[in-house]
Amino acid sequence: MFKNYLITAYKVYTRRKLFTAINLTCITLTLMVLLVVTALLQNAFYPTGVEGRSDRFLQVHTLSAVGDNGNSSRSSPLGYKTIEQYLKPMKSVQMVAAVTGPRTVSVYQDNRVNELMLRRAEAEYWKILDFKVLEGRVPDDEDVAQGRFVAVLNASTAAKLFPGERALGQRLNAGGQTFEIIGVVEDTLQLNAYADMWVPVSTDPSTDYRSQLFGDFFALLLAKSPADLPKIQAELAEVTARMRFDDPKKWNQGFMWADGKLDFFARGLFGNERVPDSGAGTLLLVIAVLMILFMTLPALNLVNLNTGRILERSAEIGVRKAFGASSRTLVVQFVIENVLLCLFGGLLGLIAAKGVLVWLEHSGLIPYLKVDINFAVFACGLLITVVFGLLSGVIPAWKMSRLHPVQALKGAA
Amino acid sequence: MCSEPIHNETATMIKLENVSKTYQTDKVETLALKHINLHVKKGEFLSIMGPSGCGKSTLLNVIGLLDQPGSGSITVDGAPVTSYRDKDVAKLRNQTFGFIFQSFHLINDLHVVDNVELPLLYRKVSAAERRRRAREALEKVGLGARMDHYPNQLSGGQQQRVAIARAMVGQPQVLLADEPTGNLDSQMGAEVMDLLLRLNQEGTTVVMVTHDEREAKRGSHIVRVFDGQLVA
Repeated sequence: MFKNYLITAYKVYTRRKLFTAINLTCITLTLMVLLVVTALLQNAFYPTGVEGRSDRFLQVHTLSAVGDNGNSSRSSPLGYKTIEQYLKPMKSVQMVAAVTGPRTVSVYQDNRVNELMLRRAEAEYWKILDFKVLEGRVPDDEDVAQGRFVAVLNASTAAKLFPGERALGQRLNAGGQTFEIIGVVEDTLQLNAYADMWVPVSTDPSTDYRSQLFGDFFALLLAKSPADLPKIQAELAEVTARMRFDDPKKWNQGFMWADGKLDFFARGLFGNERVPDSGAGTLLLVIAVLMILFMTLPALNLVNLNTGRILERSAEIGVRKAFGASSRTLVVQFVIENVLLCLFGGLLGLIAAKGVLVWLEHSGLIPYLKVDINFAVFACGLLITVVFGLLSGVIPAWKMSRLHPVQALKGAA
Repeated sequence: MCSEPIHNETATMIKLENVSKTYQTDKVETLALKHINLHVKKGEFLSIMGPSGCGKSTLLNVIGLLDQPGSGSITVDGAPVTSYRDKDVAKLRNQTFGFIFQSFHLINDLHVVDNVELPLLYRKVSAAERRRRAREALEKVGLGARMDHYPNQLSGGQQQRVAIARAMVGQPQVLLADEPTGNLDSQMGAEVMDLLLRLNQEGTTVVMVTHDEREAKRGSHIVRVFDGQLVA
């Protein structure tokens, strides 16, 4: 029976080439966009690459403080003192790393000025994140303790600053400080890793950062296992509750949240800086609704096209009914035909999505993007495709299968 | 007025009792069948005749459960048709009837052999068995060499023979033919009639709608429909 359905589907689709082309274009484009978006979302949130251990660490990005009367408030990245005094002594964490956000710094090289993104990091940063070292090494505890002026570049920056030369051992002037390059790492776009250049935190021109509760640092909190993450969040809540501000008359209550990557994005998006709920559930819901809407519109269009297509086959419906096909059997047949078309469209969509991702990687539109369609995204695409096939096939198939056989045989659907 | 049963033997294959059928359009209500009483014996070749629009095809559709009567009852092989639920009538149609249409109604996208297999698709028959029986049916109608052709590569007479092969492949008890020679020239029409008579001689009950008096007379009985009623 299935073979019969396959042959009929193939014949119908090759006979109606324009219809098939429109249908396939619609499916392919929709799935391509969904797959590219899914791949980018997965790249951002799923533990992968440099942040392969992100299922074991949380990030604390913001310290919010409110005054006694609730009229004054402040939110900013953490000061180094906050990390040193409150986060590092936490018992539930295995390791804490302080690192600044990427800041623009001018690099003077051969009478040229390049603007680079610079991070200052502790040695633990390199232990929590899993950078792929292409050449040399990354800063260790001693480099940081001694305040050595050593730097790590990513591959693109190394190639840009030292074209045709080996970057290792070279010196460069960044923001008025001279650093020796001790390592080159692979380019990366990840949330906590994105930068062109990294130097030890102790090379900061001023030591003031050590005494500030507010600053431009954030902390990575590594747990012994993913199961320990809730313990870290609970302990952080206790730590934050007993936090003492330098100016207690002005600030008397602080808020810090140890978030996974999705929570971090959601909290930033919804501004939930003073409540434990990051809004990740809402964010996922919004993404799901948008995706379904994005799929529904072309699906409705396909419902229309499919109804027209099946309408033309009313005589066939009549014959099949006359020889014993029930409405249910016909629904299954038409849905199988539609799902097959959608799966073919899905395959084209996958190929097109791969093409777009390769183009995105090489276009520089999103710097250092390294993203691929992996198994999870492929499975997601497959699921999306089948849902799409069902969405756009069931309604017309059901409608047409209800045709009265006599009317169907007359072609008067 | 109620027509008297035309046949009343015990070995009745199809029995229609007081069957009426009304078509309702936007403004007009048309009574297509009026109080029909009809018995079709097992193994007979019944020809239904009558002028255009008299209700012959409607009667055939009601007999074949393609259409539901407005009132009255139908009995198929001794069992009254009590349910017109899609699933129930589909099964009954599949196991009891084979249909032959004036305009063949072959599926042009499928090979001849796939067309013939169609009734077996809706039974639990293996693919190999389906193919074997379809081949046999095609050989019986003299088209064993045309299995892998498409219907539109065949002449009208050949297409109708494919349709007959399709109708008989499931070995139905009743063949229902709606003007099977209506679209054929006289020679092809004669070939098709020969086939139907042969199947009837082999034991299949045949009910045929026709305009042609000579063809009708080749069957065992004739009933005439006029204005939705059976007439003597």
